[in-house]
Amino acid sequence: MKKLILSSLFAFAALILAAGAGAQVIVIANPSVKASGVSKDDLKDVFTGNATTLKDGSKVVPVLLKDGPANEEFLKAYVGKGDTAYRAGWRSLVFSGQASMPKSLDDDAAVVAFVAHNPGAIGYVDKATPHEGVKVLEVQ
Amino acid sequence: MKRILAGAIVLALGVGAHGFAQSLDELNIQIHGYATQGFLYTTNNNILTTHSSDGSPAWTEAVLNVGAQPIPKLRIGVQGRFFLLGNFGNSVTLDWAAADYKPDERLGVRFGKVKTPSGLFNDIQDIDPSYIWSLLPQSIYPINSRNSILAHYGGVAYGTFKLGAKAGKLEYRGWGGERQIGSGDGYLLVQAEAGLLLPNGLGGATYGAAVHWRSPLSGLMIGASAGKDPEWTAKLTAGNGALTGTESTAPLNIPSYFALYEKNKVMVAAEYSRLPVSITLQFTGLPPSYERIDYRSWYAMASYKLTSKLTAGVYDSQQFNRQAALGPARYSKDWTISGRYDFGQYLYAKAEEHIIDGTAVGYDTDLNPNGLKPNTKLTILKVGVSF
Repeated sequence: MKKLILSSLFAFAALILAAGAGAQVIVIANPSVKASGVSKDDLKDVFTGNATTLKDGSKVVPVLLKDGPANEEFLKAYVGKGDTAYRAGWRSLVFSGQASMPKSLDDDAAVVAFVAHNPGAIGYVDKATPHEGVKVLEVQ
Repeated sequence: MKRILAGAIVLALGVGAHGFAQSLDELNIQIHGYATQGFLYTTNNNILTTHSSDGSPAWTEAVLNVGAQPIPKLRIGVQGRFFLLGNFGNSVTLDWAAADYKPDERLGVRFGKVKTPSGLFNDIQDIDPSYIWSLLPQSIYPINSRNSILAHYGGVAYGTFKLGAKAGKLEYRGWGGERQIGSGDGYLLVQAEAGLLLPNGLGGATYGAAVHWRSPLSGLMIGASAGKDPEWTAKLTAGNGALTGTESTAPLNIPSYFALYEKNKVMVAAEYSRLPVSITLQFTGLPPSYERIDYRSWYAMASYKLTSKLTAGVYDSQQFNRQAALGPARYSKDWTISGRYDFGQYLYAKAEEHIIDGTAVGYDTDLNPNGLKPNTKLTILKVGVSF
């Protein structure tokens, strides 16, 4: 019986670890962005359309992932919203004439390629995605 | 003031012509839209000029938005709408058409036909996909006057100042131009049904300012706005044109105070606004008559995201006309519970129940010929799609 309980505990712990080991998201920017880091507040402001510059004056343009675990994780960790509520916020800005909808790209590789080729672009991808040509911003 | 709109269109065309040298992708042309269909049912009274006591599907809206960003600091856009609610609308109107130039975080300007950024929700009150409610609190955002108070011809200046790490940010908006209240507007409905017609509507200069303090407490915003309208005068007729004259409104000051807390799954908001109106009716050859209205309106609302797809909310919305005689026509108290289900990024459904006491908001006399009962329950079902 003890073995069964221990096995169950191990299985439960393994499940928790597996769940925690989902997409680990990193924030990437075009090398033209001067900043090497970004505060959580600045990141939230940029990705909710409330700001177009970082604290050091770097002008940035956000680019989004269409869906997927990295998208969910980024929105939960840095914006505090689920995908539906997040996009509803952008629709408020678009339909009231206050902003254009950021580009939404299909996958991590497309985000890396877009950020690498567009000055000021800032995005997020799974940590495991190859990200040559972009700089990784430390979130402070 | 339409010259300003024409100027914006000319500028847009100019930028568009410049843009022919660019690819469509570089112009960042975007097309968005949404459409909604609502159904209303009331236990007493017919509301919002619908036959709601029999159940009414007469609430349809469709919006198309086209925008472009030819250079990073300049955006141009236009938005049109088909609106039908009971006897209101049933036509396509221009929501806004504007050019927006933002050289700096601290200063941007938008001009053309632009949304008026007063109060907490005025500039987004028509954007159904962006909130949980089927009807925003009618005490401050009456849907039968939405087209008139939503936008003006002229401009808006806006910007954000960072106040330091421990003081948050200050956002400001200042606006000016001309507003037109159409002859079929909800504000003018009761007098129109009494035979007092404003064939050209009512309009004139308008200006105002708003500040939003985004506090250091993450998610908390506190703000205030003040809208000012100088005296407006319009042509008035009665008795099928037998009487002609003018209707004037005295200079108007519309203050509004509001707060919003939005974090993770929770949203809490409240707003107070006052609308004091002094009207003079002057028919040729007759002594003038006067009417005074003094609406004091407020609401408090909260919503919670129960799951990634389901949100529930509640609000209490109240309005009192301090100049009206005692009785149900003096006030409206509206307790509302609401739910929204998002099937995905594009499709959603809403259900809402209003328990309304008082008759100050949302009723007309033509569709309630036997008089109004002092209270009613209103059920709304709505489905929407957006892209």
